[in-house]
Amino acid sequence: MAEKDNDIIAQLSQLRNEYKIHLQTELAELAGLTAKLNGSVSENAVLDDLYHRLHKLAGSGGSFGFNALSEEARHLELMLKACLSETGNDDEVARKRIIEGVAALATTPDAQDAQVIAKLSSPGTAAANKCIPIWLVEDDDALGQELARVLRQFGFDVRLFTRFDDAEAAACREQPGVLIMDVLFREEGLNSTEALSNSPALQALHCPKLFISEEDDFQSRVRAARLGADGFMLKPLNIPRLIDRLEYILAQQQAEPYRVLIVDDDATLSEHFRLVLNMAGIDVSVLNTTQNIIGAMVQFRPELILLDLLMPGFSGSELAAIIRQYDEWLSLPIVFLSAETDLDTQISAMGRGADDFIIKPISDAQLTAAVRVRAARSRQIAELMSKDSLTGLLKHARIKEEAQLELARSQRTAKPMSLAMLDIDHFKKVNDTYGHAVGDQVIRSIAHLLRQHRRKSDSVGRYGGEEFVILLPECGREAACELLEDIRQRFTALSFRHEEQEFSCTLSAGIATSPEHFTGSSVDLFIAADVALYIAKRGGRNQVRYSVL
Amino acid sequence: MSTLQRILYVEDEASIQKVAKLALEMVGGFTVKICASGAEALCEAEAFAPDMILLDVMMPGMDGPTAFESLRKLPALAEIPVAFMTAKIQHQELVYYKSLGALDVIPKPFDPMTLSAQVQAIWDKRHG
Repeated sequence: MAEKDNDIIAQLSQLRNEYKIHLQTELAELAGLTAKLNGSVSENAVLDDLYHRLHKLAGSGGSFGFNALSEEARHLELMLKACLSETGNDDEVARKRIIEGVAALATTPDAQDAQVIAKLSSPGTAAANKCIPIWLVEDDDALGQELARVLRQFGFDVRLFTRFDDAEAAACREQPGVLIMDVLFREEGLNSTEALSNSPALQALHCPKLFISEEDDFQSRVRAARLGADGFMLKPLNIPRLIDRLEYILAQQQAEPYRVLIVDDDATLSEHFRLVLNMAGIDVSVLNTTQNIIGAMVQFRPELILLDLLMPGFSGSELAAIIRQYDEWLSLPIVFLSAETDLDTQISAMGRGADDFIIKPISDAQLTAAVRVRAARSRQIAELMSKDSLTGLLKHARIKEEAQLELARSQRTAKPMSLAMLDIDHFKKVNDTYGHAVGDQVIRSIAHLLRQHRRKSDSVGRYGGEEFVILLPECGREAACELLEDIRQRFTALSFRHEEQEFSCTLSAGIATSPEHFTGSSVDLFIAADVALYIAKRGGRNQVRYSVL
Repeated sequence: MSTLQRILYVEDEASIQKVAKLALEMVGGFTVKICASGAEALCEAEAFAPDMILLDVMMPGMDGPTAFESLRKLPALAEIPVAFMTAKIQHQELVYYKSLGALDVIPKPFDPMTLSAQVQAIWDKRHG
């Protein structure tokens, strides 16, 4: 299956490259057409041609991953449609906007490259960040090597350039997922925040950029901000902070689509909303009746509900009140979609548990923006509630719930599941010797390691102070032992610094795997993993052990 | 329940033809025939005997809706489910496609990795 997926991805990537070449010609021809817009009588034929070409671009770009280009083309297409329907109307402003818009199209395609690679890599078992290449451009060879080594330990795919020119040359052929760049290149005598502004090849890289600098120079910071930098970090580098920043950037790029449930009895309208939101990359489920709404919610786990205010049989506000009877949906945003403009009705609906109103009719762009911003907030709140603030891993209660769900799933599918408990050895000594701030750094580092090396389906939680749990669905004992052994070795290889002192830590791990036809509960797995962890500790620590259920 | 095997896709744009064929054949395992125009579809459709037809809307010459109505007049194809694949998905446009008798609409651009699942879901909705 994986082989077939790889084959599909390779072929799609080939088609995408072909499309990219076609795109260059198409954009040049579009620009050529706009040059003919001069207000003359024959202009309508040009507009018509432009309209059809933009329509095609809007429809095709996104299928090859050029989503921003598609959206822009659609925007222009609609603008042109309006122009065409008003024949004889010599609108200088609209013409100027179209010409500028077509010119701007040329700057969008590459922006999507990195995301496309991520999107086309089907949701498989590979660790989340491994496929995203990071370019590190640092003229201090020793520092570059060391930084690359540490980043690789955390599972990043790093390519090191010691010369600005080399990175510039590489940027003509390929592009990284993230660019980390030193500011001062002494030998080449250049400041990269300046040089980047003058390098078309590097400018065209629309990937996130992080600058690292010896000097806190305000001018460089300003230029970095203008280049849209995602960070400006000073040397000596605080590695955990750099990793935090990288993880944050990558998490934003790889975020799952928002899930929105639409409950509306108007089938065509809700279908329209579904398609509009789908095109903006939002997952949508539609219910045209209110029956079994709770069942649908349990299955789809929406992050936002768009509810029609007036439905046959119920009012939307009654439905909101019903949803609020369930503890798990207390914080779910409920937004009414309504033609209702009467303030009193709105206030009374809000009193019953709804959060907001979106008034119909609404433009596609407004709907997308309104939904996205609310869903993002909802996800943020849900994460704050379920994740540990220091590590971003699942909290104790959540990882236990997750374990229950995963075990139930593994019992249904008759596939094994492993659960591992990890504990940092002699952690108290780290806190006592170097202080709690350094202790926190060690905790964060192991959290990063676990996140980097898990598969997409694995869940990781902070179980206690220095104790962690990792759930490995569809993973037998041998594979689990291998994974944990790899994590153990990588963790041991990490070096931490406090003032001038360098030190490293070790960890012990215990694994339990559900046997075939296992009828026990997740508690049994936790107990067995705990026993294995105890054996690892008793056996001298710094090792991985398993126990048999 | 009959299964979806053969899909006829009418689309004038070469790049989209290729990516859709690849997506439907390799991901979905369907047998796919591409026609570059409504006229070509009218000539080829009966011999290919599709289980389902996917139609682009905006095509030079015969547009999607016209092709749809012409295909419907061929006795062998009168009952074959048709879905439009289009970037034109304004509310009134959707109403129009449905009024013609189209089963569903797949918005463009589409994600090649999930296109087959979308097509299959439309089929299942009709036959489930």
